[in-house]
Amino acid sequence: MKEDSYILFDNYLNKELSASEIISFEEKLNSDADFKQEFEIYKSLETSLTSKFENEEAEKELKNTLSKLGSKYIKPENSIKKKGKIISLLSNKKFMVAASIALVIGFFLFNNGDPVYSDFSNHNALELVVRGNNNDAIIKAQDAFNSKNYKEALKQLTVLSETSNDDTEIELYKGICYLELNIYVEADIIFDAISSGNSTFANTASWYKALSMLKQKQFEACKYVLKTIPESAAEYKQAQKLLKKL
Amino acid sequence: MIQKPHEDHIYIEALLKNDSRVLSKIYEKFSHKIVSYVRNNNGNSDDAQDIIQETLVTIYHQAKEKNFILTCPFDAYFYLLCKRRWLNELKKRGNNRVTISDDTTSITEEQEQQVEETEIFEKQHQLFESKFKELGAKCQELLKTTFKIKSMEKVAEILGVTYGYARKKKSQCMGKLTQLVKDSNEFHQLKAY
Repeated sequence: MKEDSYILFDNYLNKELSASEIISFEEKLNSDADFKQEFEIYKSLETSLTSKFENEEAEKELKNTLSKLGSKYIKPENSIKKKGKIISLLSNKKFMVAASIALVIGFFLFNNGDPVYSDFSNHNALELVVRGNNNDAIIKAQDAFNSKNYKEALKQLTVLSETSNDDTEIELYKGICYLELNIYVEADIIFDAISSGNSTFANTASWYKALSMLKQKQFEACKYVLKTIPESAAEYKQAQKLLKKL
Repeated sequence: MIQKPHEDHIYIEALLKNDSRVLSKIYEKFSHKIVSYVRNNNGNSDDAQDIIQETLVTIYHQAKEKNFILTCPFDAYFYLLCKRRWLNELKKRGNNRVTISDDTTSITEEQEQQVEETEIFEKQHQLFESKFKELGAKCQELLKTTFKIKSMEKVAEILGVTYGYARKKKSQCMGKLTQLVKDSNEFHQLKAY
């Protein structure tokens, strides 16, 4: 269809046509099926996209509310099995073996669609020992985190972060706990703060920010963050791998 | 056609207002059944949580864009939507070893119709979104700005082009998008409804 038609559609929807132009436009709608179909699509697109972009912020806020409610009302089976969407689907032993091989190699053969968070969320163990006081909380936090009990870990880390000011590593791990618990707002705040600073954890925080976007299925944002991770970073390889999947 | 809202329409309004008090009732009252269904069919509670959230966000969009009115009880409508979404998800994951324990929920024709309406809405929404992403970066940016900021004068100012050029570009990009949608397979499937 000619470009003029689209300008005409736009003018018609904006009520910028003269009375006689409207009549001939509507006549064409009635007589030309192809013209009509394109107009209908154009109009639906206009409504749909307007609604989408107008409500982007509201949608984010709604999702936050829903995530919070979801983690409050829907309890995980048990904390160890909690993650691993793929593994739990393939409970059959033969599949388990195949799946782990595939994971080791780094090709996610079982997942042809969009990459999922659990494919990339292998956290480094938390090792806070040799840190002076607060031993009890440190050990509790460490044990809880390393056994994937993120709720408890978060509690202990919060205690720790209150006594040791500005410990970036503790902040980062708090962020990971929030991310695991689907409390995205808090997680993102932490990752943003660390990644914009110049601590040794800045790149790690960017990587987690990307994972958070991935988990929230905001793939464009995820890609964007991944591209900010420099080649020198330890996370560069994983970042490139994930980028390729997106 | 004037539709009389069902009393459960409060849940739709709660989505529109992001009213966490009423929304928590949805989780309290209806999530249990969905979680059991997903768990009994090769999923876990995380999956169930995703399914529930995605379904609610879809209903939100439909209400926002199309003034969707719920005319039947929320329970069966919501359950059926979540259930079908989970079955689709399983298909996507290529899980062929599915044993579907189907519970015989009786649903009325009206409920079925509302479910279908929501599903068609979502398909269209997804189609538009995916085609939008096929546009060039310039078009995407222009359209995004256009739809966010209503006034084309302002859009032109922000993008540093003349008003006339912005208008012309906008219809060109929309035209391109219209073509992409029109030529897609999905569109022809949707048209069949």
